[in-house]
Amino acid sequence: MAAGPLLEIDSLTFRYRRATEPAIRDLSLTMERGEVLLVAGPSGCGKSTLIRAINGLIPHAYPGEMAGVVRLAGRPTTELRLREISLTVGTLLQDPAKQIVGSTVESELAFGPENLGWDAAAMRARIAEVSDEAGIGGLAGRETYALSGGERQLLAMAGALMLQPSLYVVDEPLANLDPLTADHLLDVLRQLADAGHAVVIVEHRVEEALQLRPDRVLYLEESRVQYLGPVDGFLRVADPESVKLPFEVTLERERARDQGAVKQVVPRREHTELDVPARLAFRNVHVSLGDREVLRGLDASLAPRGVVAVLGPNGSGKTTMFRAGMGLIRPTSGAVEVDGNPAQGRSVAELARVFGYVFQSPSQMLFSRTVRDELLFGPRNLGHRVDDADGFAMATLRRTSLDGLEGILTRPPMTLSFGQQKRLALAIALALEPPTLILDEPSAGQDHRTANRFMDEVRGISGLESTYLITHDVDLALTRADRILVIRDGRVVGDGTPAEVIRDEEEWRACNLHQTSLMRANMAWRPAGHAFLDAASLARAILAQERAATREMEGGSTIDRA
Amino acid sequence: MWDVSSRTIVYAAIGAALYGVTAQFQIALPGTANVSLRPSFALVTFFGVAFGPIVGLFVGLVGNAIADQISGWGLLTSWNWSLANGLAGFIAGWWAMSMMQGQNKLVNAAVASAIGVVIGFLFVFTDIWLGTAENFGVAMSDNYIPVVVGDLIVAVILTPILVAAWEPIRESMGR
Amino acid sequence: MNVAPRYLGRGSWLARRDPRVLILALAAYVLAAVQVWDLRLLTPMAVAALLYYRSAQIPWRAVRANWAYIAFFIGFIILVNTVLTGGELRGFKEADLHIYFRLPLLSTPISAEMVTYATVQLLRFGSMAAMGFPIAFAMAPGDIGPTFARLRVPYKFAYAIDLTFRFLPSLATDMQTTMDAQRIRGYEWDRVKGGPVGRLRKLGPLLVPVTINAIVGAEDTIDAMDLRGFGTGRRTWLRQLAYGRVDLLLLGAYVLLLLVITALSLTGHTRLWVPDVLIPRPG
Ligand SMILES: Nc1ncnc2c1ncn2[C@@H]1O[C@H](COP(=O)(O)OP(=O)(O)OP(=O)(O)O)[C@@H](O)[C@H]1O
Ligand SMILES: Nc1ncnc2c1ncn2[C@@H]1O[C@H](COP(=O)(O)OP(=O)(O)OP(=O)(O)O)[C@@H](O)[C@H]1O
Ligand SMILES: [Mg+2]
Ligand SMILES: [Mg+2]
Repeated sequence: MAAGPLLEIDSLTFRYRRATEPAIRDLSLTMERGEVLLVAGPSGCGKSTLIRAINGLIPHAYPGEMAGVVRLAGRPTTELRLREISLTVGTLLQDPAKQIVGSTVESELAFGPENLGWDAAAMRARIAEVSDEAGIGGLAGRETYALSGGERQLLAMAGALMLQPSLYVVDEPLANLDPLTADHLLDVLRQLADAGHAVVIVEHRVEEALQLRPDRVLYLEESRVQYLGPVDGFLRVADPESVKLPFEVTLERERARDQGAVKQVVPRREHTELDVPARLAFRNVHVSLGDREVLRGLDASLAPRGVVAVLGPNGSGKTTMFRAGMGLIRPTSGAVEVDGNPAQGRSVAELARVFGYVFQSPSQMLFSRTVRDELLFGPRNLGHRVDDADGFAMATLRRTSLDGLEGILTRPPMTLSFGQQKRLALAIALALEPPTLILDEPSAGQDHRTANRFMDEVRGISGLESTYLITHDVDLALTRADRILVIRDGRVVGDGTPAEVIRDEEEWRACNLHQTSLMRANMAWRPAGHAFLDAASLARAILAQERAATREMEGGSTIDRA
Repeated sequence: MWDVSSRTIVYAAIGAALYGVTAQFQIALPGTANVSLRPSFALVTFFGVAFGPIVGLFVGLVGNAIADQISGWGLLTSWNWSLANGLAGFIAGWWAMSMMQGQNKLVNAAVASAIGVVIGFLFVFTDIWLGTAENFGVAMSDNYIPVVVGDLIVAVILTPILVAAWEPIRESMGR
Repeated sequence: MNVAPRYLGRGSWLARRDPRVLILALAAYVLAAVQVWDLRLLTPMAVAALLYYRSAQIPWRAVRANWAYIAFFIGFIILVNTVLTGGELRGFKEADLHIYFRLPLLSTPISAEMVTYATVQLLRFGSMAAMGFPIAFAMAPGDIGPTFARLRVPYKFAYAIDLTFRFLPSLATDMQTTMDAQRIRGYEWDRVKGGPVGRLRKLGPLLVPVTINAIVGAEDTIDAMDLRGFGTGRRTWLRQLAYGRVDLLLLGAYVLLLLVITALSLTGHTRLWVPDVLIPRPG
């Protein structure tokens, strides 16, 4: 073993070849074996760049200007080949669908060892070990395209385990996973750390990542280190608006900030449904895709007003349900109704005037050379007359706060950032003035602040009667929705207000959902009869209650808390 | 241009798979018996022009073979046609990379694709030897000319559309 | 259309062969078949191909549509070669043909030779397609790369073929998603109006997002490959291939077939042969 710490970064600065500003400035960091480091920060702050600097892609695969040095077990990465680095550093990227290169589970696991020239017997032995470690023994022999998102991410993790590296770098591994699958992945990482490996994990979902019991947190902002140190220190300084923190922390922070004169929160009342036909109703709907029955007798009706959230495990049929609702796939049996009329016989384009559908990955529909053309594509296809193209485009962009970007109308849509593309997709859906929006995973792949702002904007859209959202984010569903549908194996297994659906704890867990700190706090503290509150509002409500209680006890005098 | 890195391999595989996926789109040209437009062919010239002759060769050769396999015609039944597609992609890629630099990218792409088609598909005359075409006349009027006319139209129209979409993104990705 | 590999022949006799046999037997058969015009040789060959096909146990229902397409395509090849050549086939002069009648207008002679020719083409292409099917349905999805690599295809090229099959199903899904997204925006390619060139241009909304997204998404795949040391040295394969006795026999049979046919062809024994029954009796 070479001398020195496992990883040593010494005033690293890196600028990508075509960028004008460095993506990382003057970063220094040392890591020992057995240590876990959590890296957080808003989108574009340089987290992935740091990961690439550690695993050697910078400078070996990404050209640019690099200053400072990254050492692995004492040797600078510039002097090592990627082949050698791969023996020390194992990497897991965000999108499992893209990092899997094998057609079958075995060929994926064998990929690294094959490249390094292992013999087949050694590979087979190692595959057996790793399948155990990662808990994917059940996947043996499967084809990778038929795996669910969660299974794929675990397989990718197992692929990284194969070469027994001593340092694991993991870039937002939880983004598209349901909560229980996410927990399982975190368990695997924790075991690695306990066995003496080091782990660097980038994650927006700080609350969940804390389960990993990181030793230190690195907080980046605008490519600079804002904080590097133990977790409790981080929780004291982190901004609850930019990263998602456990509720207790938010409460403490509110308390510290509380000057006794916070404006009173007006909690939403839980929504009661009116007696009108459902906007979208499923009656015993069955849908088969390939040779698999994905929806198996789905019964649900979604009201014309309010917010409905759909939760459920990876692969349970959430996306399929709305594709059937939009007429994009035909049910094998059962009926879909829109506003009380059968949807069959109505074209997709007609239904698009009722439902604005925002896909999970916005870039899959962007093709025009400019944002303006992209916005006009739908209305023109549907025969709307648009006289003032620029005016129309700008007005639509204004609804999703994209109008402020310099030269936005003539930008190629695909060069926008992910968050901006998501807003553009929303604008495109809104261009047809639908009364109802369907959002598939609105928060995935965005940082906490951006995702929240996006949801706030959706709520503020005028003329919108209802929003249906598909999500894995339990807190998002509980705090934003009037009603929650829980789907498992193509059927509705839970349907009601947030308070109602979480009552059956067993069912909740069976759907790969878990209890969050905000959920527990809401159950304990939420004013009776009120909807679930977001962290900040709940904290304020609790503080107000506390104050009222103390005031009563102290006979109305205002007190300062120690 | 001749370096085969993991980048080359991944682009080649994506191009060939896309060719297989898009082979379902076909447009008949009215007024002709056997000329049809195969939009998937544009991927051969586009990948050649954008990523080099090796990628172009692979996308044409393997893409066409796989499309044949998917349809049921068989991987090797018309292996000489797969090779002709590959040659078209190879020549388009080579031409775009080495013969014309610094001119209008879209015109460049269209010209390189056209040259790739006209030269690459000469290989289908092997049909005479393989017995699929009875004589030179049949090979010319029924194999070469229809495929060249159809693919010229496709390549000259669609390749620049794809290049135009790709260029700004390539700029902003900057690898 | 379903482009995902369907391993329908799983467990069949042919699926248990060394996958290299599937490729080599097909290659030998194709090279042999293109040399044969004599039905007395081609008929037993086609029977052998059919038995080979049957040993993969591919369910008929799963491939009906493919066979319909093949039939249509063979019909097309026969038609152009018989009509466009004015009836002069395989070097037969018109004077030597056994003519049944002439087509009205074109006055192309319909002859015993032409009927034989059509039968030959039907058998030839039909049997080549039959020999090809098992590659799609009786080869394990993970075997494609190692198979080509062990056939001495350079490993990078072999791996690219492997990756192509890895990408097929996911790109087909992406294509479906993009189609859905554009249908919602009132665009359906099947219903796009306009001439052929116009329709071609209007393929942009489908072709562009799928292609560009695939390329942009490739960054992660490339990283994932580089990070696990791809292309940095000698490569091994998990899948070990070894010819068994049956494999060698099967392969030997096809190679022998190729050799015999080539010898016969060189000595002029594979030319078009018109069965007696087809020759019209004068009077
Ligand atoms: N290949 C590249 N070429 C040029 N600039 C790049 C490249 N990759 C990233 N950047 C830029 O570097 C900065 C940091 O990017 P990075 O991907 O490290 O951010 P991040 O913190 O991982 O963000 P996210 O949370 O969105 O993943 C951004 O401004 C980004 O636009
Ligand atoms: N075109 C298809 N052919 C075959 N199976 C499909 C197809 N599309 C989806 N599936 C399968 O149907 C199941 C349900 O998919 P769906 O996308 O509705 O799940 P989901 O609940 O949205 O999951 P996630 O949370 O991961 O997005 C999955 O197992 C998926 O693999
Ligand atoms: Mg990142
Ligand atoms: Mg989904």
